[in-house]
Amino acid sequence: MRMIIDSRLPSMTRSRLIPTLCLLTGCLVASPLLQAQNTDWTPLNLAMTDAVVIPAYERFAAATAPLARNAAGFCAAIDADSLAALQQDFSAAYDGWQGVQHIQFGPITWFNWNFRLQFWPDDKGTGARQLDALLATADPAVLVPEAFAQQSVGVQGFPALERLLFSDDSLVALQNEPYRCQTVQAISRNLDDIASGVAQRWRDEFRTTVANADERGFFESAEDATIDYLKAVVESVRRIQQQKVQPVLGDNQAAARERRAEAWRMDRSVQHMRTNVAALAALFNDSAPALSSVLQPADLPNIQQAFATLQQHLADAPDSMNTAITTAEGYAAFKQVDADLDALFELLEAGVKGTDLYLGFNSLDGD
Amino acid sequence: MKTHVDRRQFLALSALLLSPAARVLAVGDAAATPLLLTAASTRADEHFLVGFRHDGAAFHPVFKLPLPERGHHVAVQAERGFFVSIARRPGTTLVLAELATGKLIREIRAPADRHFYGHGVFSADGEWFYTTENAFEDSSDASGRLVAWRVSGAGSDATLERVHDWPSYGVGPHELLLMPEGNTLAIANGGIRTHPSHDRDILNLDTMQPSLTYIDRRDGKLLEQQGLPAEFHQCSIRHLDVSANGTVVLGMQFEGEAFMTVPLVATHKRGENLQLLLAPPELQPQLNQYVGAIRFAADGRHFAATCPRGNQFTVWDSETGTLVHALRARDNCGVIASDKGFVYSTGMGTVAELDLQSGSISEFDGAEQLDLLWDNHLCSGVPA
Repeated sequence: MRMIIDSRLPSMTRSRLIPTLCLLTGCLVASPLLQAQNTDWTPLNLAMTDAVVIPAYERFAAATAPLARNAAGFCAAIDADSLAALQQDFSAAYDGWQGVQHIQFGPITWFNWNFRLQFWPDDKGTGARQLDALLATADPAVLVPEAFAQQSVGVQGFPALERLLFSDDSLVALQNEPYRCQTVQAISRNLDDIASGVAQRWRDEFRTTVANADERGFFESAEDATIDYLKAVVESVRRIQQQKVQPVLGDNQAAARERRAEAWRMDRSVQHMRTNVAALAALFNDSAPALSSVLQPADLPNIQQAFATLQQHLADAPDSMNTAITTAEGYAAFKQVDADLDALFELLEAGVKGTDLYLGFNSLDGD
Repeated sequence: MKTHVDRRQFLALSALLLSPAARVLAVGDAAATPLLLTAASTRADEHFLVGFRHDGAAFHPVFKLPLPERGHHVAVQAERGFFVSIARRPGTTLVLAELATGKLIREIRAPADRHFYGHGVFSADGEWFYTTENAFEDSSDASGRLVAWRVSGAGSDATLERVHDWPSYGVGPHELLLMPEGNTLAIANGGIRTHPSHDRDILNLDTMQPSLTYIDRRDGKLLEQQGLPAEFHQCSIRHLDVSANGTVVLGMQFEGEAFMTVPLVATHKRGENLQLLLAPPELQPQLNQYVGAIRFAADGRHFAATCPRGNQFTVWDSETGTLVHALRARDNCGVIASDKGFVYSTGMGTVAELDLQSGSISEFDGAEQLDLLWDNHLCSGVPA
């Protein structure tokens, strides 16, 4: 039996087959609703890619470059000022990641890049255990880029570097333990390698994949590609709520736990969410045509209002989630954000239901 | 009796084949293929059991039977002219209906402390029907049950009588199938403990012990059991298929960390160790740790594993243990062998056939327009 590999993966050969029966039967007929909307999926996909996605990845790569560069010279003379400067570089790089964290398709899913950048949530403390084990080896060979890329995901990314740079004893520990500082350098370089790798793959490879989505390559169709962008917005709203807000708030204020926040050591969890939501709004709106155009026009005002309300409440919320949740007023501010995220998700979900686009069935609730 | 395999026993992946596609224009056969059955839902959360035929190009609905809850697998007793649609976890209904028309015969409920897992199978002589069940108030390892039902009547008189209640020798039994010799049931004990009062939450993530278990259908005796290596204990063995020569293939769903590289497919022959299979390193992470259904091709050698979370449809060679074909198919889940290769269904509403010879895919005209979300699984309406 002759077999054909059609894996739609970056490093494997692909065959592009036009389903011959469809040529005869017209089985790719769009449904009446889609015809009514007259959406041209490929121009939309490319507009989002060129105006929003690739620029966001390029900003991410541009933010990790100074981190890697400055970390390279950091260990020679560590003091409070140089640590503060590197912490700033780290914050900027982490912000860059927050601007693309919602994009869970394409090159970010290759080579475990997504988990290597950020292994989180980490309910079992795996990252801390793996980082301690790495530091205990003090083996310089492990920190060479090729070897480091093969290490546990828990030591490779932002959470591990946050731990190294933002612990109470970071300054003294980094001054006294050369290997710890070399690990800072290795993670910083690794983050930059991955960020520039993802940006380059989007520019040089995956944009072409998106442009040719209707030829049955990686995607089944151009509409299939659009669904990935739409999922990036809709499902991320729920993910922010369920991973970044609700676990911190708990069932009531007494059950609130700052350490469940995404970036509690540096206390920038709120800034992260502001960046996340701004990125979602950008993916939804900031291209011509825009993703919002796939929904029914009548549904858009409420969705845009929900985005604006959420962004306003996030802007008004205290910058420090760690301290805010210890006060009734601060806790209430994030309960409001929780409710806003919920409202936005419900509106988006209802909006998607008003189209023929479907985000998933077996993939969301299988057995 | 429980045996383990280790990483060294992963089968090596051979070089992947590639051949150019022949662009042969095909036309649908005038005669429609045999009846296929599948559960389906609507976006309004209504549930149906749909019977259909296809001619290689077009989808021909035969019947659409409303179900009281979400369906899953369908067991067919063609000689007696009826089928049983088994409710999906944690459903409690068996729906008996006439095979030719989909006309409801009767509904049978599980006892109050039980629910089904969406799977059932008839004995070859059609005298017995077997279900996997959860005795959910039992917190011991005996909560997984294998229940034998006596079949009586035919057509609109067909019914089932609960007779034997045996352990499945594991927690969370899921798919079960009859081995070719006719007296052995192969059961996928998924290892996952759930309780209806906790929705579908996994209550034993840290202590899961999935297994492939062979049981004598005549007396419920344990014949053989194969577990997974400790590092893969969170690979829930959910679905299986068996070839005419007795090779069993397993489809698994990993409940551990998303970044880990774990086998999602395995093969087994009685008395041997499990062979755990991995896709090539570029593809394996794309499968998103989840196989939805697994079915042999007509040749009894190749098999398909659907990956709805990774949007990949994969074809493997059970003899070499290698992945030989993968294609993008968003939300694909149900699968069954066809003359040309496989028919698969998706939660996006499409039903399509993959021609293994040419690699071409034909989506059946008329399926998507029904506005149904095709649920796991695709089942044959004719005698095996």
